[in-house]
Amino acid sequence: MIFIRPLFFAAPVLSLGLLAAAPLAIGQAGVPNLAPPHEAHPKATSESVAAGKTVFQGTCAGCHGVDGSGAMGPNIQGAAASLGPEGLFTVIHNGVFGSGMPSFADLGDQKIWQVIDYLSSLGPEGSMIGVGDAEKGKAVYESSGCSSCHMIAGQGGDTGPDLSRIGADRSPSFLRKVLLDPGANLPETDNALQERQSYPMYVMYRAVLKDGSTVEGMRVNEDSFSIELRDANGQTHSIQKFKIQKLEAQPGKSFMPIYKDKLSNDQLNDLVAYLSSLGGAR
Amino acid sequence: MRRAKYLWTGTALLALVAGMRVWAADVNYQDILHSASHPGDWLTYGGNYASQRFSELKQVNTENVANLKMRWVYQLRHQGIFESSPIVANGVMYVTEPPTTVTALDVHTGSPIWRWTADLPKNLLTIGLFPTNRGVAILGDTVYVATIDAHLVALDAKTGALRWRVEIGNNSDAVAITQAPLAINGKIIVGMGGGEGGLRGYIDAYDAKDGKRLWRLYTVPTAGEPGSETWEGDSWQYGGATTWNTGSYDPQTNTLFWGTGNPAPDWNGDARKGDNLYSCSLLAIDADTGKLRWYFQFSPHETHDWDAAEPPVLFDATIDGKMRKVVAQANRNAFYYVLDRDTGKFIAGQAFAKETWAKGLDANGRPIEFPNIDPTTQGNLIYPSITGAVNWTSSSYSPLTGLFYVNTRELGAYYFKGNPTMEPHNPRDIGGGGGQKLVSGDKAYSAIRALEATSGKLKWQFKMVGDSWTGTLVTAGNLVFCADAEGNFFALNAMTGQPLWNVQLGNSVRANPITYEVDGKQYVESAAGNSIFVFSLP
Repeated sequence: MIFIRPLFFAAPVLSLGLLAAAPLAIGQAGVPNLAPPHEAHPKATSESVAAGKTVFQGTCAGCHGVDGSGAMGPNIQGAAASLGPEGLFTVIHNGVFGSGMPSFADLGDQKIWQVIDYLSSLGPEGSMIGVGDAEKGKAVYESSGCSSCHMIAGQGGDTGPDLSRIGADRSPSFLRKVLLDPGANLPETDNALQERQSYPMYVMYRAVLKDGSTVEGMRVNEDSFSIELRDANGQTHSIQKFKIQKLEAQPGKSFMPIYKDKLSNDQLNDLVAYLSSLGGAR
Repeated sequence: MRRAKYLWTGTALLALVAGMRVWAADVNYQDILHSASHPGDWLTYGGNYASQRFSELKQVNTENVANLKMRWVYQLRHQGIFESSPIVANGVMYVTEPPTTVTALDVHTGSPIWRWTADLPKNLLTIGLFPTNRGVAILGDTVYVATIDAHLVALDAKTGALRWRVEIGNNSDAVAITQAPLAINGKIIVGMGGGEGGLRGYIDAYDAKDGKRLWRLYTVPTAGEPGSETWEGDSWQYGGATTWNTGSYDPQTNTLFWGTGNPAPDWNGDARKGDNLYSCSLLAIDADTGKLRWYFQFSPHETHDWDAAEPPVLFDATIDGKMRKVVAQANRNAFYYVLDRDTGKFIAGQAFAKETWAKGLDANGRPIEFPNIDPTTQGNLIYPSITGAVNWTSSSYSPLTGLFYVNTRELGAYYFKGNPTMEPHNPRDIGGGGGQKLVSGDKAYSAIRALEATSGKLKWQFKMVGDSWTGTLVTAGNLVFCADAEGNFFALNAMTGQPLWNVQLGNSVRANPITYEVDGKQYVESAAGNSIFVFSLP
């Protein structure tokens, strides 16, 4: 009986744990370990990354793209950073119920860890850590007018994206590129269900309407019949396409100023370090 | 049309007098056979045996379509990826919810009448496909559904009670089914999926009464059989060529037309040199015996995952002054094909979407391939992408316009070659041997293209913003209905492509629309997200 009782109690605890943890699985770091007991994560080596790449390309690439950037399945290049190794182990081991992601438990613990090592090595812009001083970077942020368009923890403007968690979402090198030339480095959004996985956000458009008027602004959304543009004053215009005479994208343009000549190299490094610290660095 | 039938029976008459509606008559084979004269119902996956998705209904037409109003919405109880195309018969709409639930709705109100959900194994295998279901078949008083774990199930059409359940394939070998079965005279025809799991494809016929298997046709010949010389070594044992989408039927010649999927492994053909018959092919099959009458292979030795599973469309048309019986397919490889339905001989074909892998088609319809089109370890940019110029969604054909309406996907991809380790009966540790990186962004889009059905020549197109996963429906009201990835359900003038009506349904649409008539009123149905929306004139 002694041996039975702990097991008896263990079952409901586990199922409560599953319920409670489920909402955390999206966009939260450190998903609790829900996979059954498994081999501990061996230290990642270049060999384990290479082995993981082989397994990935044979098993995962069909859905997630050969470099994890997504195909029929979503982009998972950031999955290791957002879920953590144990969280990722759970997803690979158990699958995601109701999605196209099956359980790959039969790969075995070793191969799953190799895939995780490979995924952890991915990232379109690498994952180098900012070299600047985050404290100083905060001062650069405040003196450079960033907060007139961006919000951090509820403070600031709303023309550009909220930066409260930007360090968790973007790599330092990508942040650096955006600061140097925003229009040329527009971020892409993901859409797990469409194959048009990702498309550039904040693209500037110029719409000449049939009544002769012109609207210029950042694309907020677009479908086959309408487009929403937000102008420089923050005003959103909803335009039916049948009213448009000419609709032109303006590649390279952005409401965000180019900081290439406005900041010194040190200031830039400090600012990147500050932004990378927001929401937990990669 | 069904109202006439109601009046023949006293109970139905009484019910009408009392202001009630009854669900009475069975759907017999003759009803499906003559579905053109019963446009009020939608009795097969493709609307008729020819898979034309053409409806004679014309109450909703180019003049009044802008007045369409929503009548009811049904929200799924089982959420997931929703790709079901309903069957409507005798006042009931039968729809499937993911992964395998059949729900019968009162077509007048959208209220559920019954619901049946399959018991699925905890370790369900769905390799290379989403766990969803695209619809049921109906015959007599029975509704047939193929489950995601590869069983064929017969349900009482009135109550949803389980009549019988037979195994089609072993899910632990990766056999999984998402297609709607096809009901013909006394038989249920169903194919299967899971071609990335190390298996040989096949298509089966079952006795509609008791589920006894009547025949099975393997789509990959075994050693020594004709066509086995097109496979290297024992690669035929895991050659794929599954039959994962619903096909068509010509009752005059008792022939089934069914498309097959890619050879496996997908993106690395090194171990399977040869044409790999009968992958990426259209098969013409004797419906009584399961014998192969002819085949036409669209993409020999295919290495891009361009399945030929798109529902083939049958029609008769005058070509070069002669009336021809043809079967047409807009193929995932970006070419449109017109074949003789009796012989499988190539009649006409041309690209209907951007493609960079073939110079064209030769006199026999075989692609004239450019060199170096296979995936590479560095990545090889080819159009179309893995999901193809068209995928599982249905095209439609209108005998009134002579046009073939295909929702075209315009995407390219870098194709990568990996190192697959494929073996039969060991589905977990394998894959397609590579993958793709999309050329994505704003360059990707979809378009409804109207092709001259006898040649594939482009007549008009309607461009959409994102890549759409919706089939087309065409009606005698001179309308084409379709939907986009951003949630717009819309109607176009079938002759010109001019948009006439659209409504935002709030989520991406991933299913084929249908139309039917109840109590003298035409309805148009579209899925969106995890809901069904039904429209009619006020």
